[in-house]
Amino acid sequence: MTAGTLTADSGRPVDPVDPDDPLSRQTAKAGGGARPWFQLLGLPVVLALSLVACLVYVQTAPLDSIEARLLDPGGLLSATLRHLQLVGVSTVVVVALAVPLGILATRPAARRIVPFVVGLGNVAQGVPSLGVLVLFAVLYGIGFWPVIVALVLYAFLPILRNTIVGLQQVDPFVVESARGMGMSSGAVLRRIELPLAVPVILAGVRTAAVINVGTATIATLTNAGGLGDVIYQGITLNRTSAIVVGSVLAGVLALLIDYLGGLLEQALRPQGL
Amino acid sequence: MSAPAGPSMISLEQLTKSYPGQVEAAVQSLDLEVPEGEIVVLVGPSGCGKTTTMKMINRIIEPTSGVIRLQGEDVTHSPADQLRRRMGYVIQQIGLFPHLTIEDNVAVVPRLLKWSGDRTRARVDELLDLVGMDPSVYRSRYPKELSGGQRQRIGVARALAADPPVMLMDEPFGAVDPIAREKLQNEFLRLQEELRKTIVFVTHDIDEAIKMGDRIAVLREHSVVAQYDTPERILSDPADAFVAEFIGAGASLKRLGLARVRDYPYADWPVAAISDGPQAALAALDRSDETSLLLLDDQRRPLRWVQRQDLQAAGASLDRAGMAVRAMVEPTATLAGALDAMVSSRTGGVVVVDGRGGFLGTVDMGVIMKAAEDMRAAAQDSARSGGPLMRAASGT
Repeated sequence: MTAGTLTADSGRPVDPVDPDDPLSRQTAKAGGGARPWFQLLGLPVVLALSLVACLVYVQTAPLDSIEARLLDPGGLLSATLRHLQLVGVSTVVVVALAVPLGILATRPAARRIVPFVVGLGNVAQGVPSLGVLVLFAVLYGIGFWPVIVALVLYAFLPILRNTIVGLQQVDPFVVESARGMGMSSGAVLRRIELPLAVPVILAGVRTAAVINVGTATIATLTNAGGLGDVIYQGITLNRTSAIVVGSVLAGVLALLIDYLGGLLEQALRPQGL
Repeated sequence: MSAPAGPSMISLEQLTKSYPGQVEAAVQSLDLEVPEGEIVVLVGPSGCGKTTTMKMINRIIEPTSGVIRLQGEDVTHSPADQLRRRMGYVIQQIGLFPHLTIEDNVAVVPRLLKWSGDRTRARVDELLDLVGMDPSVYRSRYPKELSGGQRQRIGVARALAADPPVMLMDEPFGAVDPIAREKLQNEFLRLQEELRKTIVFVTHDIDEAIKMGDRIAVLREHSVVAQYDTPERILSDPADAFVAEFIGAGASLKRLGLARVRDYPYADWPVAAISDGPQAALAALDRSDETSLLLLDDQRRPLRWVQRQDLQAAGASLDRAGMAVRAMVEPTATLAGALDAMVSSRTGGVVVVDGRGGFLGTVDMGVIMKAAEDMRAAAQDSARSGGPLMRAASGT
């Protein structure tokens, strides 16, 4: 204030625009991290090439009668679809169970049970998947649903933990100001906490789905089908070609699901974060 | 100096908050009346329970015992969500919803109150205008695209959205840099002149309390009121050693921050038009007792300070005589601001100019000393005649 007028202490209106206005700078687009299309295409191209290579091999290689039966394209397709069904159903069920439980665990009234719940999830994931599957086969018989139960247990922890972490990382002051404005606790959960936790919860779902693609290969042991059929028969009958083709298909499936999960995360991530 | 307290908007009666497992209450039997249309500042050292006290008013923290009245109505047990929609709430961290646009952030309470879409939209635009942010630019932005000061403005706009009679503000300007804080405080005071809300304002900064408050409640441990009074009287007549220590050194200087330049007579100082030349200026200087003179341009805007020898040494033109006027204030500036300008420009006086820069008068040390003397006398008078509004029993 060496020269010019000392601005009156609340005398005159002040320039409404801050000098550090970030709008004057180039800002990243809201919802950032959108990658250019050619990067998005990279993985699908690699996966498609792997599939084509498999298919060409199956069609052209000299196969003996056992291999021909194991690698019949129609059979491979139905095994893949079955596998997808196992993964899809188990993931839907585990999301339907673990997300609400995670929400409950973060409510003030239930905060004390969090270590207990997470502990249970830890135990479920710590037990070898094979053991869980056999245990359920013994208890409930063989077939589709025992496998689903085993897969659900196995994928429970990532989703539960991510739901809890996702909700806990929401800025407590954002929640406080929402409460202070007169939003009910239900409205705060629906309109503030869950949207802000979506990226973390979805990351958990994605992890769980990928884990399930791998774990579902052992469904064959209780006669629930899937790509495990191809792989295990390849092992039993000593046909490397079947093992490789089955594994490649399972691998492609896992990467594809991870990729789609990534797209979904990007699409559902709230703007402004 | 301040008007007598109007009807109470908020009354706290024997309000107490104790936490399980703690022997002493966080807030102990607090009684406080918040008059309608005033800013009441709760100020005190960290951990004195001022924030807890404020958060009990909208029951973010439920009181253990005691009564909260809003416009006379007992709201201690009424539904909290409805109660909160009648009170704006601004916290230091602001807590804007990062996934909502500015418009959606501001529209939260109107939508909770089920206003129509048109009315809500119009209100959002009105509020953005009010806090000095162009609606067409900012309406659809997200909080992360704003600067700290802009977020703070949106926080205030959001709290004002449904035009609540009461605002609760917890260190609302605590998280911005000092320059932006000063600006936000001034803007907010200007807003409050129009809005006349009843505001409970929490801060640990006594200077902010003095600047913002119509009344200040100085709190000690357990939210016990040490003194509840106007800023002037707290500065002139602290109730006890605790308050005096909390105000800290420089109470007289702080009082100068409460007084405006326009409220005191300007010092008489000789002036002359620069175009009239050195002889006319010398004549004007001779007629006064002062040793220097202020040269004005044709629009009576101050240009230069000159002394006798400057005038004698100058030729026909006075354009370079003496030294340029560096310290100028507007009539709305505080005496503290005028003193600061005076000291930093290293001159004995500061020139008061109107909005267009025209000369009004000068303020010198004599004016400031006289003002400080008057204020002290007035505050002591009012303390003797009326007594402070309320004072805690000495001791605890």
